[in-house]
Amino acid sequence: MKSLTIRNLSKTYFDLYAGTNHTAIHDVSLEVAEGDFVAVVGPSGCGKSTILNMIAGFIPLSGGEILVGGRPVKGPGPDRGVVFQSFALFPWKTVLENVAFGPKMRGVGKAEREAIAREYLALAKLTEAANRYPNELSGGMQQRVGVVRALANNPDVLLMDEPFASVDAQTRMTLQEELTRIWQEKRPTVLFITHDVGEAVFLANRVVVLSKGRVLDDIGIDLPRPRSWDALNEDADFKALSNRVLQLVRSA
Amino acid sequence: MTILFKSWHHYLRLTQRFPSVGSIVPFIPVVALWWLVTALELFPRVFLPGPGDVLRSFGSLVYKGILPDYLQDSMVRLAVGAFCGIALGIPLGILIGMSRHAHTALWPVLLFFQAIGDIAWLPILVIWFGYGLVSMTFVIVYTVIFPVVLNTVLGVRSIPIAMHRAALSLGASRWQVLWEVVLPGALPNIVTGLRNGLGYGWRALIAAEIIVGTSGIGFLMFDARRAGSTVEILLGMIILGILWYIVDSWILAPIERATGQRWGLVSK
Ligand SMILES: Nc1ncnc2c1ncn2[C@@H]1O[C@H](COP(=O)(O)OP(=O)(O)OP(=O)(O)O)[C@@H](O)[C@H]1O
Ligand SMILES: [Mg+2]
Repeated sequence: MKSLTIRNLSKTYFDLYAGTNHTAIHDVSLEVAEGDFVAVVGPSGCGKSTILNMIAGFIPLSGGEILVGGRPVKGPGPDRGVVFQSFALFPWKTVLENVAFGPKMRGVGKAEREAIAREYLALAKLTEAANRYPNELSGGMQQRVGVVRALANNPDVLLMDEPFASVDAQTRMTLQEELTRIWQEKRPTVLFITHDVGEAVFLANRVVVLSKGRVLDDIGIDLPRPRSWDALNEDADFKALSNRVLQLVRSA
Repeated sequence: MTILFKSWHHYLRLTQRFPSVGSIVPFIPVVALWWLVTALELFPRVFLPGPGDVLRSFGSLVYKGILPDYLQDSMVRLAVGAFCGIALGIPLGILIGMSRHAHTALWPVLLFFQAIGDIAWLPILVIWFGYGLVSMTFVIVYTVIFPVVLNTVLGVRSIPIAMHRAALSLGASRWQVLWEVVLPGALPNIVTGLRNGLGYGWRALIAAEIIVGTSGIGFLMFDARRAGSTVEILLGMIILGILWYIVDSWILAPIERATGQRWGLVSK
Protein backbone atom coordinates (compact mmCIF):
# COMPACT_ATOMS: atom_id res chain seq x y z
CA MET A 1 0.00 0.00 0.00
CA LYS A 2 1.18 3.48 -0.83
CA SER A 3 -0.05 7.03 -0.72
CA LEU A 4 -1.78 8.83 -3.57
CA THR A 5 -0.93 12.44 -4.32
CA ILE A 6 -2.71 14.65 -6.82
CA ARG A 7 -1.25 18.07 -7.54
CA ASN A 8 -2.87 20.86 -9.56
CA LEU A 9 -4.69 18.36 -11.73
CA SER A 10 -6.69 19.74 -14.65
CA LYS A 11 -8.53 18.29 -17.60
CA THR A 12 -9.86 19.97 -20.71
CA TYR A 13 -11.97 17.96 -23.11
CA PHE A 14 -12.12 18.94 -26.74
CA ASP A 15 -15.61 18.63 -28.16
CA LEU A 16 -15.07 17.32 -31.67
CA TYR A 17 -18.50 18.30 -32.96
CA ALA A 18 -18.84 21.76 -31.43
CA GLY A 19 -15.15 22.43 -31.97
CA THR A 20 -14.88 23.94 -28.49
CA ASN A 21 -12.89 23.18 -25.35
CA HIS A 22 -14.59 22.22 -22.11
CA THR A 23 -12.65 22.27 -18.88
CA ALA A 24 -14.03 19.54 -16.61
CA ILE A 25 -11.32 19.69 -13.90
CA HIS A 26 -9.70 22.93 -12.68
CA ASP A 27 -6.65 22.69 -10.48
CA VAL A 28 -7.55 19.84 -8.11
CA SER A 29 -5.08 18.86 -5.38
CA LEU A 30 -5.69 15.93 -3.07
CA GLU A 31 -3.68 13.67 -0.81
CA VAL A 32 -4.72 10.18 0.24
CA ALA A 33 -2.37 8.85 2.91
CA GLU A 34 -1.16 5.27 2.92
CA GLY A 35 -3.96 3.02 4.18
CA ASP A 36 -6.50 5.83 4.24
CA PHE A 37 -10.05 5.72 2.88
CA VAL A 38 -11.13 8.90 1.09
CA ALA A 39 -14.48 9.41 -0.61
CA VAL A 40 -15.16 12.02 -3.29
CA VAL A 41 -18.75 13.24 -3.60
CA GLY A 42 -20.34 15.75 -5.86
CA PRO A 43 -23.31 16.26 -8.13
CA SER A 44 -23.52 14.55 -11.50
CA GLY A 45 -21.16 16.04 -14.05
CA CYS A 46 -18.84 17.68 -11.52
CA GLY A 47 -15.89 15.63 -12.83
CA LYS A 48 -15.61 12.69 -10.42
CA SER A 49 -15.15 10.03 -13.09
CA THR A 50 -12.78 12.28 -15.00
CA ILE A 51 -10.47 12.48 -11.98
CA LEU A 52 -10.60 8.74 -11.38
CA ASN A 53 -9.96 7.95 -15.06
CA MET A 54 -6.88 10.15 -15.01
CA ILE A 55 -5.57 8.51 -11.85
CA ALA A 56 -6.20 5.07 -13.35
CA GLY A 57 -4.33 6.18 -16.48
CA PHE A 58 -7.28 5.64 -18.80
CA ILE A 59 -7.27 9.21 -20.13
CA PRO A 60 -4.39 11.71 -20.41
CA LEU A 61 -4.02 14.68 -18.06
CA SER A 62 -4.18 18.24 -19.31
CA GLY A 63 -2.10 19.55 -16.43
CA GLY A 64 -0.71 18.75 -12.99
CA GLU A 65 0.63 15.45 -11.73
CA ILE A 66 -0.43 12.23 -10.10
CA LEU A 67 1.95 10.36 -7.79
CA VAL A 68 1.61 6.91 -6.27
CA GLY A 69 4.08 6.36 -3.45
CA GLY A 70 5.84 9.52 -4.64
CA ARG A 71 6.32 8.33 -8.21
CA PRO A 72 4.42 9.80 -11.17
CA VAL A 73 2.06 7.43 -12.96
CA LYS A 74 1.84 6.91 -16.69
CA GLY A 75 -0.94 4.88 -18.29
CA PRO A 76 -2.92 2.10 -16.59
CA GLY A 77 -1.01 -0.28 -14.35
CA PRO A 78 -1.39 -2.90 -11.63
CA ASP A 79 -0.28 -0.45 -8.92
CA ARG A 80 -3.75 1.12 -9.18
CA GLY A 81 -6.59 -1.40 -8.88
CA VAL A 82 -9.94 -0.28 -10.29
CA VAL A 83 -13.48 -1.32 -9.41
CA PHE A 84 -15.95 -0.33 -12.12
CA GLN A 85 -19.58 0.68 -11.85
CA SER A 86 -20.33 -1.76 -14.67
CA PHE A 87 -18.36 -4.50 -12.83
CA ALA A 88 -16.34 -5.24 -16.02
CA LEU A 89 -15.88 -8.89 -15.09
CA PHE A 90 -14.67 -11.16 -17.88
CA PRO A 91 -17.79 -13.14 -18.86
CA TRP A 92 -15.70 -15.95 -20.41
CA LYS A 93 -13.86 -16.61 -17.18
CA THR A 94 -15.19 -18.24 -14.04
CA VAL A 95 -15.31 -16.25 -10.83
CA LEU A 96 -12.13 -17.96 -9.67
CA GLU A 97 -10.33 -17.15 -12.95
CA ASN A 98 -11.52 -13.56 -12.78
CA VAL A 99 -10.06 -13.10 -9.32
CA ALA A 100 -6.87 -14.93 -10.29
CA PHE A 101 -6.45 -12.71 -13.37
CA GLY A 102 -4.09 -10.14 -11.87
CA PRO A 103 -1.65 -12.71 -10.42
CA LYS A 104 -1.82 -14.62 -13.72
CA MET A 105 -0.71 -11.49 -15.61
CA ARG A 106 2.32 -11.26 -13.32
CA GLY A 107 3.21 -14.85 -14.13
CA VAL A 108 2.12 -16.47 -10.86
CA GLY A 109 1.66 -20.23 -11.35
CA LYS A 110 -1.79 -21.78 -11.54
CA ALA A 111 -1.87 -23.46 -8.14
CA GLU A 112 -0.54 -20.43 -6.33
CA ARG A 113 -2.77 -17.88 -8.02
CA GLU A 114 -5.85 -20.03 -7.42
CA ALA A 115 -4.94 -20.25 -3.77
CA ILE A 116 -4.72 -16.45 -3.67
CA ALA A 117 -8.06 -16.15 -5.45
CA ARG A 118 -9.73 -18.58 -3.03
CA GLU A 119 -8.43 -16.65 -0.06
CA TYR A 120 -9.98 -13.43 -1.40
CA LEU A 121 -13.20 -15.15 -2.42
CA ALA A 122 -13.54 -16.41 1.13
CA LEU A 123 -13.03 -12.85 2.35
CA ALA A 124 -16.08 -11.79 0.34
CA LYS A 125 -18.07 -14.94 1.24
CA LEU A 126 -17.96 -16.10 -2.38
CA THR A 127 -16.34 -19.52 -1.94
CA GLU A 128 -19.44 -21.28 -3.25
CA ALA A 129 -19.46 -19.23 -6.45
CA ALA A 130 -15.85 -19.95 -7.45
CA ASN A 131 -16.65 -22.11 -10.47
CA ARG A 132 -19.63 -20.17 -11.76
CA TYR A 133 -19.61 -17.65 -14.60
CA PRO A 134 -20.35 -13.97 -13.89
CA ASN A 135 -23.65 -13.97 -15.77
CA GLU A 136 -24.89 -16.67 -13.38
CA LEU A 137 -24.49 -14.33 -10.39
CA SER A 138 -26.65 -11.52 -9.02
CA GLY A 139 -25.45 -7.95 -9.45
CA GLY A 140 -24.42 -7.75 -5.81
CA MET A 141 -22.33 -10.91 -6.08
CA GLN A 142 -20.77 -9.71 -9.32
CA GLN A 143 -19.58 -6.52 -7.67
CA ARG A 144 -18.16 -8.48 -4.74
CA VAL A 145 -16.12 -10.34 -7.33
CA GLY A 146 -15.13 -6.99 -8.86
CA VAL A 147 -13.86 -5.74 -5.51
CA VAL A 148 -11.85 -8.84 -4.59
CA ARG A 149 -10.49 -9.17 -8.12
CA ALA A 150 -8.91 -5.74 -7.69
CA LEU A 151 -7.74 -6.51 -4.12
CA ALA A 152 -6.28 -9.92 -4.97
CA ASN A 153 -3.80 -8.17 -7.23
CA ASN A 154 -2.48 -6.32 -4.19
CA PRO A 155 -2.55 -2.79 -5.67
CA ASP A 156 -0.93 0.20 -3.98
CA VAL A 157 -4.13 2.17 -4.39
CA LEU A 158 -7.71 1.01 -4.90
CA LEU A 159 -9.90 3.23 -7.10
CA MET A 160 -13.66 2.78 -7.04
CA ASP A 161 -16.08 4.69 -9.30
CA GLU A 162 -19.64 4.42 -7.95
CA PRO A 163 -19.20 0.65 -7.59
CA PHE A 164 -22.51 0.09 -5.80
CA ALA A 165 -24.68 2.46 -7.83
CA SER A 166 -26.32 -0.26 -9.90
CA VAL A 167 -27.44 -2.66 -7.17
CA ASP A 168 -30.62 -2.44 -5.09
CA ALA A 169 -30.71 -0.51 -1.80
CA GLN A 170 -30.58 -3.53 0.55
CA THR A 171 -27.71 -5.18 -1.31
CA ARG A 172 -25.91 -1.85 -1.42
CA MET A 173 -25.99 -1.56 2.38
CA THR A 174 -24.61 -5.08 2.75
CA LEU A 175 -21.85 -4.37 0.25
CA GLN A 176 -20.94 -1.15 2.05
CA GLU A 177 -20.67 -2.97 5.38
CA GLU A 178 -18.56 -5.69 3.78
CA LEU A 179 -16.29 -3.12 2.18
CA THR A 180 -15.61 -1.44 5.54
CA ARG A 181 -14.90 -4.84 7.07
CA ILE A 182 -12.52 -5.83 4.23
CA TRP A 183 -10.85 -2.42 4.34
CA GLN A 184 -10.20 -2.79 8.09
CA GLU A 185 -8.75 -6.22 7.51
CA LYS A 186 -6.48 -5.36 4.55
CA ARG A 187 -6.08 -1.62 4.99
CA PRO A 188 -5.68 -0.69 1.33
CA THR A 189 -5.39 2.95 0.25
CA VAL A 190 -8.83 3.72 -1.21
CA LEU A 191 -10.22 6.53 -3.32
CA PHE A 192 -13.97 6.00 -3.51
CA ILE A 193 -16.18 8.00 -5.82
CA THR A 194 -19.91 8.36 -5.28
CA HIS A 195 -22.78 10.81 -5.56
CA ASP A 196 -24.41 9.24 -2.47
CA VAL A 197 -23.59 11.38 0.58
CA GLY A 198 -24.66 8.72 3.09
CA GLU A 199 -22.42 6.17 1.41
CA ALA A 200 -19.43 8.52 1.48
CA VAL A 201 -19.84 9.35 5.16
CA PHE A 202 -20.49 5.73 6.10
CA LEU A 203 -17.38 4.39 4.34
CA ALA A 204 -14.67 7.00 4.49
CA ASN A 205 -12.23 8.61 6.90
CA ARG A 206 -12.43 11.77 4.83
CA VAL A 207 -14.99 13.12 2.41
CA VAL A 208 -13.92 15.48 -0.35
CA VAL A 209 -16.72 17.53 -1.89
CA LEU A 210 -16.23 18.33 -5.53
CA SER A 211 -18.05 21.06 -7.42
CA LYS A 212 -17.70 21.97 -11.09
CA GLY A 213 -14.21 20.53 -11.27
CA ARG A 214 -12.91 22.10 -8.04
CA VAL A 215 -12.51 20.88 -4.46
CA LEU A 216 -15.15 22.65 -2.38
CA ASP A 217 -14.31 21.19 1.03
CA ASP A 218 -12.56 18.32 2.75
CA ILE A 219 -14.28 16.90 5.83
CA GLY A 220 -12.83 14.45 8.36
CA ILE A 221 -15.18 11.63 9.39
CA ASP A 222 -14.20 10.44 12.85
CA LEU A 223 -16.94 7.87 13.34
CA PRO A 224 -15.81 4.77 15.21
CA ARG A 225 -15.17 1.47 13.42
CA PRO A 226 -16.36 -1.17 12.76
CA ARG A 227 -19.31 0.62 11.23
CA SER A 228 -22.70 -0.89 10.58
CA TRP A 229 -25.93 0.61 9.32
CA ASP A 230 -27.82 -0.68 12.36
CA ALA A 231 -25.59 1.37 14.62
CA LEU A 232 -25.16 4.45 12.42
CA ASN A 233 -28.70 4.91 11.09
CA GLU A 234 -29.79 6.51 14.36
CA ASP A 235 -26.38 7.92 15.29
CA ALA A 236 -26.37 11.67 15.93
CA ASP A 237 -22.79 12.22 14.75
CA PHE A 238 -23.45 10.32 11.52
CA LYS A 239 -26.56 12.38 10.89
CA ALA A 240 -24.79 15.66 11.62
CA LEU A 241 -21.88 14.81 9.31
CA SER A 242 -24.20 13.60 6.56
CA ASN A 243 -26.22 16.79 6.80
CA ARG A 244 -23.13 18.94 6.63
CA VAL A 245 -21.85 17.16 3.52
CA LEU A 246 -25.30 17.22 1.98
CA GLN A 247 -25.54 20.99 2.45
CA LEU A 248 -22.19 21.40 0.72
CA VAL A 249 -23.18 19.17 -2.19
CA ARG A 250 -26.47 20.98 -2.60
CA SER A 251 -24.76 24.36 -2.57
CA ALA A 252 -22.28 23.08 -5.15
CA MET B 1 -57.56 -30.49 -31.66
CA THR B 2 -56.43 -31.25 -28.11
CA ILE B 3 -55.05 -34.57 -29.31
CA LEU B 4 -52.97 -32.78 -31.93
CA PHE B 5 -51.80 -30.33 -29.32
CA LYS B 6 -50.89 -33.09 -26.90
CA SER B 7 -48.97 -35.16 -29.41
CA TRP B 8 -47.08 -32.05 -30.52
CA HIS B 9 -46.17 -31.55 -26.88
CA HIS B 10 -44.97 -35.14 -26.62
CA TYR B 11 -42.97 -34.69 -29.79
CA LEU B 12 -41.26 -31.59 -28.40
CA ARG B 13 -40.25 -33.51 -25.31
CA LEU B 14 -39.00 -36.38 -27.41
CA THR B 15 -36.80 -34.05 -29.47
CA GLN B 16 -35.32 -32.67 -26.29
CA ARG B 17 -34.40 -36.12 -25.07
CA PHE B 18 -33.25 -37.38 -28.50
CA PRO B 19 -32.16 -34.43 -30.66
CA SER B 20 -31.61 -36.72 -33.65
CA VAL B 21 -35.38 -37.35 -33.74
CA GLY B 22 -35.87 -33.62 -34.21
CA SER B 23 -33.53 -33.58 -37.19
CA ILE B 24 -35.20 -36.49 -39.01
CA VAL B 25 -38.93 -36.30 -38.32
CA PRO B 26 -39.55 -32.89 -40.01
CA PHE B 27 -38.41 -34.42 -43.30
CA ILE B 28 -40.97 -37.24 -43.24
CA PRO B 29 -43.80 -35.06 -44.60
CA VAL B 30 -41.46 -33.57 -47.22
CA VAL B 31 -40.41 -36.97 -48.51
CA ALA B 32 -44.01 -38.23 -48.31
CA LEU B 33 -45.22 -35.31 -50.42
CA TRP B 34 -42.46 -35.93 -52.92
CA TRP B 35 -43.37 -39.60 -53.06
CA LEU B 36 -47.05 -38.74 -53.51
CA VAL B 37 -46.38 -36.33 -56.36
CA THR B 38 -44.26 -38.87 -58.20
CA ALA B 39 -46.62 -41.80 -57.46
CA LEU B 40 -49.51 -39.83 -58.95
CA GLU B 41 -47.31 -39.28 -62.04
CA LEU B 42 -48.19 -35.58 -62.15
CA PHE B 43 -44.91 -35.10 -63.98
CA PRO B 44 -43.20 -37.61 -66.29
CA ARG B 45 -40.85 -39.90 -64.36
CA VAL B 46 -37.81 -38.75 -66.34
CA PHE B 47 -38.36 -35.17 -65.17
CA LEU B 48 -39.11 -35.96 -61.55
CA PRO B 49 -37.91 -39.32 -60.24
CA GLY B 50 -39.25 -40.59 -56.92
CA PRO B 51 -37.47 -41.19 -53.60
CA GLY B 52 -37.00 -44.87 -54.43
CA ASP B 53 -35.19 -44.09 -57.71
CA VAL B 54 -32.87 -41.66 -55.99
CA LEU B 55 -32.12 -44.16 -53.23
CA ARG B 56 -31.27 -46.84 -55.82
CA SER B 57 -29.00 -44.43 -57.66
CA PHE B 58 -27.34 -43.58 -54.35
CA GLY B 59 -26.70 -47.29 -53.76
CA SER B 60 -25.18 -47.89 -57.16
CA LEU B 61 -22.97 -44.77 -57.07
CA VAL B 62 -21.68 -45.76 -53.65
CA TYR B 63 -21.09 -49.27 -54.92
CA LYS B 64 -19.11 -48.01 -57.91
CA GLY B 65 -17.04 -45.85 -55.57
CA ILE B 66 -17.80 -42.64 -57.46
CA LEU B 67 -19.84 -41.01 -54.75
CA PRO B 68 -17.37 -41.54 -51.88
CA ASP B 69 -14.55 -40.19 -54.06
CA TYR B 70 -16.49 -37.12 -55.13
CA LEU B 71 -17.70 -36.52 -51.61
CA GLN B 72 -14.18 -36.67 -50.32
CA ASP B 73 -12.97 -34.26 -53.02
CA SER B 74 -15.63 -31.72 -52.14
CA MET B 75 -15.05 -31.98 -48.41
CA VAL B 76 -11.26 -31.68 -48.75
CA ARG B 77 -11.65 -28.57 -50.92
CA LEU B 78 -14.03 -27.05 -48.42
CA ALA B 79 -11.70 -27.90 -45.52
CA VAL B 80 -8.61 -26.47 -47.24
CA GLY B 81 -10.46 -23.33 -48.31
CA ALA B 82 -12.08 -22.87 -44.94
CA PHE B 83 -8.80 -23.34 -43.11
CA CYS B 84 -7.03 -20.72 -45.24
CA GLY B 85 -10.00 -18.38 -44.99
CA ILE B 86 -10.05 -18.64 -41.21
CA ALA B 87 -6.28 -18.35 -40.87
CA LEU B 88 -6.34 -15.12 -42.88
CA GLY B 89 -9.71 -13.76 -41.80
CA ILE B 90 -9.43 -13.82 -38.00
CA PRO B 91 -6.08 -11.95 -37.74
CA LEU B 92 -7.24 -9.46 -40.36
CA GLY B 93 -10.52 -8.91 -38.52
CA ILE B 94 -8.71 -8.40 -35.21
CA LEU B 95 -6.29 -5.95 -36.79
CA ILE B 96 -9.09 -3.91 -38.35
CA GLY B 97 -11.20 -4.13 -35.20
CA MET B 98 -8.42 -2.95 -32.91
CA SER B 99 -6.61 -0.34 -34.98
CA ARG B 100 -8.34 2.74 -36.26
CA HIS B 101 -5.54 3.19 -38.81
CA ALA B 102 -5.97 -0.32 -40.18
CA HIS B 103 -9.71 0.28 -40.36
CA THR B 104 -9.26 3.53 -42.29
CA ALA B 105 -6.80 1.96 -44.70
CA LEU B 106 -8.40 -1.43 -45.31
CA TRP B 107 -12.15 -1.09 -44.88
CA PRO B 108 -12.95 0.52 -48.28
CA VAL B 109 -10.76 -2.01 -50.08
CA LEU B 110 -12.49 -4.83 -48.23
CA LEU B 111 -15.95 -3.61 -49.22
CA PHE B 112 -14.84 -3.23 -52.83
CA PHE B 113 -13.63 -6.79 -53.06
CA GLN B 114 -16.59 -8.14 -51.17
CA ALA B 115 -18.83 -6.64 -53.86
CA ILE B 116 -17.11 -8.52 -56.68
CA GLY B 117 -18.46 -11.83 -55.44
CA ASP B 118 -16.88 -15.24 -55.51
CA ILE B 119 -17.99 -16.74 -58.80
CA ALA B 120 -17.15 -13.55 -60.67
CA TRP B 121 -13.51 -14.41 -60.10
CA LEU B 122 -13.69 -17.74 -61.89
CA PRO B 123 -13.11 -16.57 -65.47
CA ILE B 124 -9.83 -14.86 -64.61
CA LEU B 125 -8.83 -17.60 -62.17
CA VAL B 126 -9.20 -20.27 -64.83
CA ILE B 127 -6.88 -18.30 -67.06
CA TRP B 128 -4.36 -17.88 -64.27
CA PHE B 129 -4.49 -21.24 -62.53
CA GLY B 130 -6.47 -23.56 -64.80
CA TYR B 131 -9.15 -26.04 -63.75
CA GLY B 132 -7.88 -27.24 -60.43
CA LEU B 133 -7.58 -27.03 -56.69
CA VAL B 134 -5.94 -23.60 -56.74
CA SER B 135 -8.85 -21.93 -58.52
CA MET B 136 -11.37 -23.64 -56.32
CA THR B 137 -9.51 -22.96 -53.09
CA PHE B 138 -9.25 -19.32 -54.08
CA VAL B 139 -13.01 -19.09 -54.55
CA ILE B 140 -13.74 -20.72 -51.20
CA VAL B 141 -11.19 -18.64 -49.32
CA TYR B 142 -12.65 -15.59 -50.98
CA THR B 143 -16.17 -16.48 -49.85
CA VAL B 144 -15.25 -17.57 -46.34
CA ILE B 145 -13.03 -14.62 -45.56
CA PHE B 146 -15.56 -11.77 -45.74
CA PRO B 147 -18.10 -13.01 -43.22
CA VAL B 148 -15.21 -14.03 -40.93
CA VAL B 149 -13.50 -10.64 -41.16
CA LEU B 150 -16.69 -8.58 -40.84
CA ASN B 151 -17.96 -10.55 -37.87
CA THR B 152 -14.57 -10.55 -36.17
CA VAL B 153 -14.39 -6.76 -36.51
CA LEU B 154 -17.90 -6.53 -35.07
CA GLY B 155 -16.93 -8.82 -32.19
CA VAL B 156 -13.74 -6.93 -31.37
CA ARG B 157 -15.57 -3.62 -31.40
CA SER B 158 -18.43 -4.85 -29.25
CA ILE B 159 -16.12 -5.52 -26.29
CA PRO B 160 -16.84 -2.79 -23.73
CA ILE B 161 -13.95 -0.39 -23.14
CA ALA B 162 -14.20 -1.14 -19.41
CA MET B 163 -13.09 -4.71 -20.18
CA HIS B 164 -9.85 -3.46 -21.76
CA ARG B 165 -9.33 -1.05 -18.91
CA ALA B 166 -9.94 -3.74 -16.29
CA ALA B 167 -7.33 -6.01 -17.90
CA LEU B 168 -4.75 -3.22 -18.17
CA SER B 169 -5.33 -2.19 -14.54
CA LEU B 170 -4.75 -5.77 -13.49
CA GLY B 171 -1.36 -5.64 -15.18
CA ALA B 172 -2.06 -7.18 -18.58
CA SER B 173 0.35 -6.34 -21.40
CA ARG B 174 -0.94 -5.53 -24.89
CA TRP B 175 -0.47 -9.15 -25.98
CA GLN B 176 -2.16 -10.42 -22.86
CA VAL B 177 -5.10 -8.12 -23.57
CA LEU B 178 -5.28 -9.57 -27.07
CA TRP B 179 -5.18 -13.14 -25.83
CA GLU B 180 -7.24 -12.81 -22.64
CA VAL B 181 -9.81 -10.19 -23.64
CA VAL B 182 -10.04 -9.49 -27.36
CA LEU B 183 -10.02 -13.06 -28.65
CA PRO B 184 -12.47 -14.58 -26.16
CA GLY B 185 -14.62 -11.44 -26.25
CA ALA B 186 -14.90 -11.63 -30.02
CA LEU B 187 -15.17 -15.42 -30.15
CA PRO B 188 -18.98 -15.71 -30.30
CA ASN B 189 -19.00 -13.32 -33.25
CA ILE B 190 -16.07 -15.11 -34.85
CA VAL B 191 -17.93 -18.41 -34.66
CA THR B 192 -21.02 -16.79 -36.16
CA GLY B 193 -18.84 -15.45 -38.97
CA LEU B 194 -17.38 -18.89 -39.50
CA ARG B 195 -20.78 -20.45 -39.62
CA ASN B 196 -21.97 -17.96 -42.23
CA GLY B 197 -18.68 -18.13 -44.11
CA LEU B 198 -18.67 -21.91 -44.35
CA GLY B 199 -22.29 -21.83 -45.49
CA TYR B 200 -21.45 -19.44 -48.31
CA GLY B 201 -18.23 -21.32 -49.01
CA TRP B 202 -20.09 -24.58 -49.39
CA ARG B 203 -22.43 -23.04 -51.96
CA ALA B 204 -19.55 -21.34 -53.75
CA LEU B 205 -17.68 -24.64 -53.91
CA ILE B 206 -20.59 -26.41 -55.58
CA ALA B 207 -20.95 -23.56 -58.06
CA ALA B 208 -17.23 -23.67 -58.78
CA GLU B 209 -17.33 -27.43 -59.26
CA ILE B 210 -20.22 -27.05 -61.68
CA ILE B 211 -18.31 -24.46 -63.71
CA VAL B 212 -14.67 -25.57 -63.54
CA GLY B 213 -14.76 -28.89 -61.73
CA THR B 214 -13.50 -32.27 -62.80
CA SER B 215 -14.79 -34.05 -59.71
CA GLY B 216 -16.90 -33.37 -56.63
CA ILE B 217 -20.61 -33.22 -55.88
CA GLY B 218 -21.13 -30.13 -58.04
CA PHE B 219 -19.40 -31.87 -60.92
CA LEU B 220 -21.51 -34.97 -60.36
CA MET B 221 -24.65 -32.90 -60.86
CA PHE B 222 -23.30 -31.08 -63.88
CA ASP B 223 -22.15 -34.35 -65.43
CA ALA B 224 -25.56 -35.88 -64.78
CA ARG B 225 -27.21 -33.01 -66.61
CA ARG B 226 -25.08 -33.78 -69.65
CA ALA B 227 -26.25 -37.39 -69.46
CA GLY B 228 -29.82 -36.28 -68.80
CA SER B 229 -29.92 -38.17 -65.49
CA THR B 230 -32.41 -36.30 -63.32
CA VAL B 231 -31.98 -39.00 -60.67
CA GLU B 232 -28.35 -38.11 -60.09
CA ILE B 233 -29.07 -34.38 -60.14
CA LEU B 234 -31.67 -34.81 -57.42
CA LEU B 235 -29.31 -37.07 -55.51
CA GLY B 236 -26.63 -34.38 -55.63
CA MET B 237 -29.04 -31.76 -54.36
CA ILE B 238 -30.13 -33.94 -51.47
CA ILE B 239 -26.54 -34.75 -50.52
CA LEU B 240 -25.72 -31.03 -50.45
CA GLY B 241 -28.58 -30.39 -48.07
CA ILE B 242 -27.82 -33.30 -45.77
CA LEU B 243 -24.08 -32.61 -45.61
CA TRP B 244 -24.57 -28.99 -44.75
CA TYR B 245 -27.23 -29.87 -42.20
CA ILE B 246 -24.78 -32.22 -40.48
CA VAL B 247 -21.86 -29.79 -40.52
CA ASP B 248 -23.98 -26.90 -39.31
CA SER B 249 -26.20 -28.44 -36.68
CA TRP B 250 -23.84 -31.08 -35.33
CA ILE B 251 -20.57 -29.14 -35.38
CA LEU B 252 -20.95 -25.38 -35.84
CA ALA B 253 -24.12 -24.66 -33.89
CA PRO B 254 -22.94 -26.53 -30.76
CA ILE B 255 -19.65 -24.58 -30.82
CA GLU B 256 -21.60 -21.35 -31.07
CA ARG B 257 -23.79 -22.38 -28.15
CA ALA B 258 -20.85 -23.53 -26.05
CA THR B 259 -19.16 -20.15 -26.26
CA GLY B 260 -21.60 -17.26 -26.35
CA GLN B 261 -24.54 -18.71 -24.50
CA ARG B 262 -22.68 -20.06 -21.50
CA TRP B 263 -21.04 -16.70 -21.02
CA GLY B 264 -24.28 -14.84 -21.43
CA LEU B 265 -22.92 -12.90 -24.40
CA VAL B 266 -25.58 -14.30 -26.71
CA SER B 267 -29.15 -14.87 -25.67
CA LYS B 268 -30.40 -18.44 -25.85
N1 LIG C 1 -15.08 12.10 -23.22
C1 LIG C 1 -15.57 13.32 -22.92
N2 LIG C 1 -15.58 14.30 -23.86
C2 LIG C 1 -16.08 15.51 -23.57
N3 LIG C 1 -16.57 15.86 -22.37
C3 LIG C 1 -16.60 14.93 -21.40
C4 LIG C 1 -16.10 13.61 -21.62
N4 LIG C 1 -16.25 12.90 -20.48
C5 LIG C 1 -16.82 13.75 -19.58
N5 LIG C 1 -17.02 14.96 -20.13
C6 LIG C 1 -17.61 16.14 -19.43
O1 LIG C 1 -16.84 16.39 -18.30
C7 LIG C 1 -17.68 16.73 -17.20
C8 LIG C 1 -17.41 15.79 -16.05
O2 LIG C 1 -17.80 14.47 -16.41
P1 LIG C 1 -17.65 13.24 -15.42
O3 LIG C 1 -18.05 12.02 -16.14
O4 LIG C 1 -16.29 13.26 -14.84
O5 LIG C 1 -18.72 13.57 -14.30
P2 LIG C 1 -19.15 12.74 -13.00
O6 LIG C 1 -18.93 13.63 -11.84
O7 LIG C 1 -18.49 11.43 -13.00
O8 LIG C 1 -20.70 12.57 -13.24
P3 LIG C 1 -21.66 11.34 -12.86
O9 LIG C 1 -21.94 11.45 -11.41
O10 LIG C 1 -22.87 11.60 -13.68
O11 LIG C 1 -20.93 10.09 -13.24
C9 LIG C 1 -19.10 16.68 -17.71
O12 LIG C 1 -19.50 17.99 -18.03
C10 LIG C 1 -19.01 15.83 -18.95
O13 LIG C 1 -19.95 16.26 -19.89
MG1 LIG D 1 -19.15 9.34 -13.21
